[in-house]
Amino acid sequence: MIARRIAAILFLPMMFAFGSGVYLYLGTMKSKVVKERAQLPTVTKPRFVLPGTVLVVQEGRLFKLNAGSFTEIGPPGAWSQPALTPDHTKLIAVSRSGFYSDLYLLDLDGHVIKRLTKNDARIIDANHWVFYPHVSPDGATLTYSLDSPKYGFQVDLAVWSMPLNGTQAQARRRTTPNGHTGGDVSPIPLAGGGLLFVRHSIDPSTAAYSQIYYQSRPLAVPTPLTSEADDCSQPALSPDGTQLAMICTGGKQTAKVEVAPFTGSALGPAKVLLDGRLYAAPAWSPDGKALAYFAPAGAAGHFQLWYLALPDLAPSASASASATPSAGATPSVRASPSPAPTPPVPIQVTQGVDLSATSPPAWF
Amino acid sequence: MAGQGPARRRRASRVHPVRLTVLTVICLLLSGLAGAAAYFFPVVVAGVGQTGQTVVVPPSSSAGRASPTPSAPPGGPFTVLLLGSDDDSKFKSDHVLTQSMILVRVEPATKHVTMLSIPRDLWVPLSTGGSAKVDAAYSYGGAAAAIATVERNFHVHIDEYAWIGLKGLIKLIDRLGGIDIFVTNPVLDDFYPNDIDVKYIYGYKRVAVLPGAQHLNGATALEYVRSRHNDINGDFGRSARQQQVLLAIKAKTSTLTAADLPDIVDALKGEFKTSMGLDRVRSLLGVAAAFDLANVKQVVLYACPSGCYTSYSNGAQYGGQSVVVPHWNQILPVVKANFP
Repeated sequence: MIARRIAAILFLPMMFAFGSGVYLYLGTMKSKVVKERAQLPTVTKPRFVLPGTVLVVQEGRLFKLNAGSFTEIGPPGAWSQPALTPDHTKLIAVSRSGFYSDLYLLDLDGHVIKRLTKNDARIIDANHWVFYPHVSPDGATLTYSLDSPKYGFQVDLAVWSMPLNGTQAQARRRTTPNGHTGGDVSPIPLAGGGLLFVRHSIDPSTAAYSQIYYQSRPLAVPTPLTSEADDCSQPALSPDGTQLAMICTGGKQTAKVEVAPFTGSALGPAKVLLDGRLYAAPAWSPDGKALAYFAPAGAAGHFQLWYLALPDLAPSASASASATPSAGATPSVRASPSPAPTPPVPIQVTQGVDLSATSPPAWF
Repeated sequence: MAGQGPARRRRASRVHPVRLTVLTVICLLLSGLAGAAAYFFPVVVAGVGQTGQTVVVPPSSSAGRASPTPSAPPGGPFTVLLLGSDDDSKFKSDHVLTQSMILVRVEPATKHVTMLSIPRDLWVPLSTGGSAKVDAAYSYGGAAAAIATVERNFHVHIDEYAWIGLKGLIKLIDRLGGIDIFVTNPVLDDFYPNDIDVKYIYGYKRVAVLPGAQHLNGATALEYVRSRHNDINGDFGRSARQQQVLLAIKAKTSTLTAADLPDIVDALKGEFKTSMGLDRVRSLLGVAAAFDLANVKQVVLYACPSGCYTSYSNGAQYGGQSVVVPHWNQILPVVKANFP
């Protein structure tokens, strides 16, 4: 009788332990996709060592990837979209607050040198957003997208320029966006004073398009370099100015990474390098022989940095390669893209992180 | 006799190994079941409380049918009315406006899905009487009125409904670990309602969702689907974004397992109601996992930009309200073609 009682007493904790075990085991059966949480870049080890240094952003924090390890730079805040000066000695980054954002000049260790814009205001709708900083090739002009002017409910980004060593009061608007579309983004100032940027349009059927435009001078009527149907955006100009990498969706929820020769004012036939995933923010390597970009790795959807060594991108006869903008050239909508003959193989650089795909990598 | 007593007691106190094994297995089974029951208890509670909501739709002349809602045959095509609502704290419980109304027809056999967004400002006769914006139907008569109003005006048969609150959408997306979206254009809004987790729910805030592929958390995804002030197509543009996010959620949920259900249920606590029973929810999840996004047809009843009469609707002012006047001669053929 005593033995039975002892057995029963021993059985109870065993049952409790087994029941708890089943409970905990079921918890481990959750989808890995849902369980996966992004790690800080600094606690991860990249899978591939990129040449040079790359600046990336995760959850408002700036990180420098160099020689296979991450270092956090910059003071606490909501940082995004780091862009290098042409001499690669400083960077411009966006600091975002609840109702506004501003541009700051920082050194490469993330120390703030200067606040470049002041967009905060006491009245909510008097605040402004500024995004997409880009310094001109001569280092003199800072170009960016600013939501000004605004009219009531209409808030659209227009491309503005100001002297990098000047003040915001010297800023001048360069483009007039389509109203109620979100506006013009991703400006790239060119050596001869021209500008590449992305313009958005929305048709009455609610379909939204983005097109890459060329503008010869401020407020001049810009010329589309890509068609509405191609839906191209996120342009990145190669270091020698002869190739333009871009993201094109064709109106779908998947993207292509394309590269087309650029004459300084016109695009040649594009080559599709990658297709069928959510690619974002291509950036050129300093030698112009590779691209870095963001794309999700695995089903969790966290964006990782990828590396793509480029195939031979010799420009075709239809678009001669020239870094010098030709004022007399007639820009035209490019021909349909053709697939690259030998598809390059992308290499995943980071793992376990969740990088901001709207902050293009700054690679130097 | 005296000598047999202790011997019997010894025999009786010895447990037969087979009986002991059977007893052990039974005890472990029971304890395992108890562990599983504890794990899925929130799902069962939610299943009882939030699914299988009874809807009594009053009969109508144009699309009349007896109440309660008859279910579509198992495995056959069925139509669900998805309803998304404002923050409840602005209204009395269950008297909220529906900011989002999407008709979804599911054809399990062909694995096709059709989504049709109904503009919230569409001026229609309500099933409860009078005319108003269609988003008011739910506030006057709950899901039954919303269903009846849509059925009568669009001449469709609705088998089920599902309602989700804004906070529920945020929590759901966060529990899913976020969603991947290609944002087609910058979504900027200086007058976005600042009514989630704040004391003063009538304020505004500025939002900016930048274009391009990105991983959105629940709060940003809500900003993306809810903002409309700076969209040239207003509510129609927002409807297109809502469908986009629905598809992204669908893509993410197809990776879920049964073990994820308690978390999902917890995220939707008090923020989700449906007429679907647990059986249909379970089968719908299975069907959703098998759908290819290429087989999803999206329809938005967009408005005419400037006074023409070839589109599905046009804007107007009724009693000081900005409303959308339906062009039924354009709308009904589209509805009939997609929701037979």
